[in-house]
Amino acid sequence: MKQIKRVVAALFVLCVALVLAFGPHADVAPVKDRIIIDYWEKWTGAEADQMLQIVDWFNQTVGKEKGIYVRYLSMSSVNQKTLVATAAGAPPDIAGLWDTQVAQFAATDAVIPLDELAREHGITEGYYKPVYWKGCHYRGKLYALVTNPMAVALHYNRQYFQDHAQRLRMAGLDPDRAPRTLDELDRYAQALDEIVRQPNGATTIRSAGYLPLEPGWYIANTGLWFGIQPYDEATDTIQLDHPRMIQAYEWIGSYSRRLGMVATSDFRSGLGNFNSTQNPFLVDQVAMVQQGPWMANYIENLKPAWNRWKFSKELEKGMSVAQRKQNYVWAAAAFPSAVPGLQDVTYAAFDMMVIPRGSKHPREAFEFIAFVNRQDVMEKLCSLHCENSPLTKVSDEFIRNHPNPYIDVFERLAASPNAQGASPVAIWPQIGDELTNAATRVNLQQASAREALADAQIRIKGDYERFKKIQRLRKEGER
Amino acid sequence: MTGKERHDLAKGLAFCSPWIFGFLVFTLVPVALSLYYSFCDYSLLQNPVWIGMDNYRTMGHDPVFWKAMGNTFYYAAVALPLGMIVSIVMALVLNLNVRGQAVYRTIIYLPSLVPAVASAMLWLWLFNSKLGLINVLLGRLGIPGPGWLSDTQWAMPALILMSVWGIGNSVVIYLAGLQDVPRELYEAAEIDGASAWGRLWNVTLPMISPVIFFNLIMSIIGSLQTFSTPYIMTGGGPARATYFFTMYLYDKAFLYLEMGYASAMAWVQLLIVLILTGLAFWSSKRWVHYQGK
Repeated sequence: MKQIKRVVAALFVLCVALVLAFGPHADVAPVKDRIIIDYWEKWTGAEADQMLQIVDWFNQTVGKEKGIYVRYLSMSSVNQKTLVATAAGAPPDIAGLWDTQVAQFAATDAVIPLDELAREHGITEGYYKPVYWKGCHYRGKLYALVTNPMAVALHYNRQYFQDHAQRLRMAGLDPDRAPRTLDELDRYAQALDEIVRQPNGATTIRSAGYLPLEPGWYIANTGLWFGIQPYDEATDTIQLDHPRMIQAYEWIGSYSRRLGMVATSDFRSGLGNFNSTQNPFLVDQVAMVQQGPWMANYIENLKPAWNRWKFSKELEKGMSVAQRKQNYVWAAAAFPSAVPGLQDVTYAAFDMMVIPRGSKHPREAFEFIAFVNRQDVMEKLCSLHCENSPLTKVSDEFIRNHPNPYIDVFERLAASPNAQGASPVAIWPQIGDELTNAATRVNLQQASAREALADAQIRIKGDYERFKKIQRLRKEGER
Repeated sequence: MTGKERHDLAKGLAFCSPWIFGFLVFTLVPVALSLYYSFCDYSLLQNPVWIGMDNYRTMGHDPVFWKAMGNTFYYAAVALPLGMIVSIVMALVLNLNVRGQAVYRTIIYLPSLVPAVASAMLWLWLFNSKLGLINVLLGRLGIPGPGWLSDTQWAMPALILMSVWGIGNSVVIYLAGLQDVPRELYEAAEIDGASAWGRLWNVTLPMISPVIFFNLIMSIIGSLQTFSTPYIMTGGGPARATYFFTMYLYDKAFLYLEMGYASAMAWVQLLIVLILTGLAFWSSKRWVHYQGK
């Protein structure tokens, strides 16, 4: 028996030794004499591979010269993982998060200020388009720099417009251009709707000109096109029930009122996923949508024929931007505003890089962030990801060779004084969710715009007061 | 204690130490900390600030908390008995001695092997109001199918209906229970002239009542913790019609960084589970029959 025990013990030790010697090892071999920077990013698939190209570029050039090696890890739920890792005292050196989290992460001391490091690298206010520069700040301090900026624009299906040209002309509208005012957008939408009346009197929607909730990703920011932000930074006030917010939400509700709540709801529930060949914009189910500049890339992947309307892609080389635009079934224009004279309104969001508190090498981490923010690198990344640039200076090549021929529109929108980002308030995730819920209620006609926003205001105001009270308590505790 | 006993005790503790260590570090300490945090404002990144009963008081007038609680109870109140009844019926049917019994049993069990995400995707298509199989079949019968997941009235029933899909596990447990019922009891009942219904009501159900009781407890806990299916399929919508307690807890903790409030919610959830389980135990004296007692 003792003999057997010894044999089993020896086998166990042998197994452990074998696993240690030949078992799985880290993917990246340690780089001698270089400081390793851990970079966690949200992107997966093609976008992750494209960022990897930038990381490799850094590692082979600036990184080599300065003795820094960036270890790139792409993951889902990066914000939560960063949060937990930071709380545990083992954060990455760089985390790729979203702009809506600048205030939240800064207010909770999850990230470190970057002002000094940015200044050392010559990244100052004038280097960035104002909307993105402002978006990287919280309470006057810089906490992030941009990786993936975007501006929202109206995308419209030119072929669909031509197919319904007669109807549009009868409504006094031009089928060869996008609507220029919100009222005009509504009229275009109505003229483009394909409604089928059933024998029982009910109506069903075959295709819609426009639906505010399709896809509705920026519905919480609808107020921007009505000249109002959900949060007023100057007075530190939440204003979800402001008359102009109510006006914006009444506009959202006007669509389901006009088309019928049941018909709209049924129509929407039958629509395909965004990232699929059943994307409602691509299968002529919705003629106009609110989207970012990446739409060109999705169209290229999901319906390439739309990017080759008149001639082959090869022929586009050497053409002017105006000539290239003729080759696309779709076009992009500023999403029209409800306020007369308020031009080029957009919601300008971005993905960003931050240095979590507790990062072991913040200075070296910033070397990589600064590298990504170099004009040539940023333009390469933005071209690969099919985005506009966050920088003030933009090269002609960037505009000419960009995969999105309408990138000039997005550049103009992002640089516009009427471009607005996420509200700089620490409870923005709650506000965004509450506003989205209010929009759904209005759309389902469960509540009027006034009621839905009043409910949201009460709830969010309570949340914000509670947040401020805790911040006060915390400060008193620190003293 | 003799030297040998001490030696044996040390040996025993050494063998148990991985579990003891795991229990202390990964269960007891986090549970105790969450109780403490439930009385604090805690964002995970800053030191917790003691706020006493504030989190619990806030719940009292938080409409989303009550909405999520109501949705969870609605789901549990319908899905739990429905799931149990269908499981028992299926187990009774699968217990019949028919040809291909093993194949039927496998078919019923198979869905519970499908990962939650995969079955959610499948059901998203089935519930699609225009192209989904359910509405297409209803349409053939002349019944206009609802917008299963887009209509606030139908979204929860759709999730309840879907919950029946995963009954395979409990069917297997009921089947095992049914096979333990002594044949002589059925024979005695038959001699006494009991009908099929009488045998089911007076023999089968009392004899498998411990199994029913076990499944009841597990289902109470499971249904009050429903998360992944609505999270994937509806995200809690439309208009929070399928926003469950655990989803709100998750959002509070990881999206809004209100870990203290989320901890308080977790303790309320535990309290509810304890009360319901306690009620089930209390009532079990009347309807659970153990063999030989």
